[in-house]
Amino acid sequence: MSEGMLCSKSHEYILEQDGTHYIGLTEYAVEQLGDIVFVELPEVGATFSKNESFATVESVKAASEIYMPVSGTIIEINEDIISAPELLNEDPLGKAWLVKIETTADEIEYKDLLDYSDYKEEVQ
Amino acid sequence: MTKQTFLHDKHVRLGAKMVDFAGWHMPVQYSSIIEEHKTVRENVGLFDVSHMGEVIVYGEDSLPFLNKLVPQDINKLIDRKAIYCQMTNKDGGIIDDLIIYKIEDNKYLIIVNASRIDEDLNWMVRNKRGFDVQIVNESHNYSMLAVQGPKAVELLKKMGEDELPPFFSIKRGELFNINLWISRTGYTGEDGVEILVRNEFSETLWDKILEAGAEFGIKPIGLGARDTLRLEAALHLYGNDLDEETTPIEAGLSWSVSKNKIDDYNGKSVIMNQIQNGVSKRLIGLKMIDRGIARHGYEIFYNDEKIGTVTSGGISPVRGDNIALAYIKNNPDITIGSELKIKIREKLYKAEVIKRPFVEKKNKCN
Repeated sequence: MSEGMLCSKSHEYILEQDGTHYIGLTEYAVEQLGDIVFVELPEVGATFSKNESFATVESVKAASEIYMPVSGTIIEINEDIISAPELLNEDPLGKAWLVKIETTADEIEYKDLLDYSDYKEEVQ
Repeated sequence: MTKQTFLHDKHVRLGAKMVDFAGWHMPVQYSSIIEEHKTVRENVGLFDVSHMGEVIVYGEDSLPFLNKLVPQDINKLIDRKAIYCQMTNKDGGIIDDLIIYKIEDNKYLIIVNASRIDEDLNWMVRNKRGFDVQIVNESHNYSMLAVQGPKAVELLKKMGEDELPPFFSIKRGELFNINLWISRTGYTGEDGVEILVRNEFSETLWDKILEAGAEFGIKPIGLGARDTLRLEAALHLYGNDLDEETTPIEAGLSWSVSKNKIDDYNGKSVIMNQIQNGVSKRLIGLKMIDRGIARHGYEIFYNDEKIGTVTSGGISPVRGDNIALAYIKNNPDITIGSELKIKIREKLYKAEVIKRPFVEKKNKCN
């Protein structure tokens, strides 16, 4: 599912599939966090700008803020990971996306995002 | 400079995630904190706790010297027994919490927190005037391995240790032809031992224990699970739940303080006064009612008034809920069952005052 995926330096990804933009956490991010035990997601309809904190993910050790890779409005949240946060450790790029957004972000907002393969190299 | 235990390379080779803790480069987890936690509650786990400090106090005045340092009555301590203590300052504030072992007359072993060893030694030396004692820091010579969990005793038996010392006692022992000290203590709420061994034998011992423990499902356990285990057992962590501004009485440690000790000790008047007249702040246990995790430093509210702060908080893998230790202004209205609110990211979440420890202890401790 990494085809067309773009990643931020703070380890969020954005992926467009059939016109829908998914935002989630990279494998590297969840590996660094360890066992994820709590996820707090925003309300549908909320709007966030690029690099604004929109969610919180908590591991056993600590709470981490999650930032928007591009600006947008939340159109759906992933209820499954609220009831089963451990899904984020198992399938962060697949089933455990965080939110779907609608975005009108222009190209400038994408400038500092990395292709998935470049990102993988960066974090290695 | 970050220090490394003699087992550092073992941890790295086991794939541990390493972090800096109290000046040491230590494993925080090998596989998963939750998995490691459950291993200790269900089977047995092996911990490298070599960062802990070991101090020997010996000499003719060892007993009166130690009696001056702690509120506990060291006169009652018999050979090879241990006692959980707090070293207090003149205001009764806790400089460190320790375990003191009586090795023999005029010779005591003190286990101190890694983060506090300099403060501890300074304080001991400052209080030494007039006492014929020697204070020797042996921390750099010894490693400490903890074997904890319901299968720990069985594993020790398999390794040839048939006669474990009773709870809170220590004995000289031998495992795999290595001379060592075995103490029936721990920081998990489970039965088990802490083994003191000279550094040069720690790697061999580590490997042999993992090998012998395989049939019991043993796993190496990092500091992450050590923290969730001690929190479930409601055992205090220095720096979080204990500090120099907090007395043993405020910390809910009155059970460990001698009420009729004759010797004078640092902070005695403050502590005795608190025992008689009560405290203005005190430690409580909490469980979250609302969905949220209380963490160190979060504020606590009661009837819209800020009344305290969470000092340790997190998940309880065994209970399946979120628990915390906190200090609140003493208020007779707040008892077991009272509802408080905790501020998490600017929102208030309901929590309930509950009894400590949060899980049943299996080691007959207090």
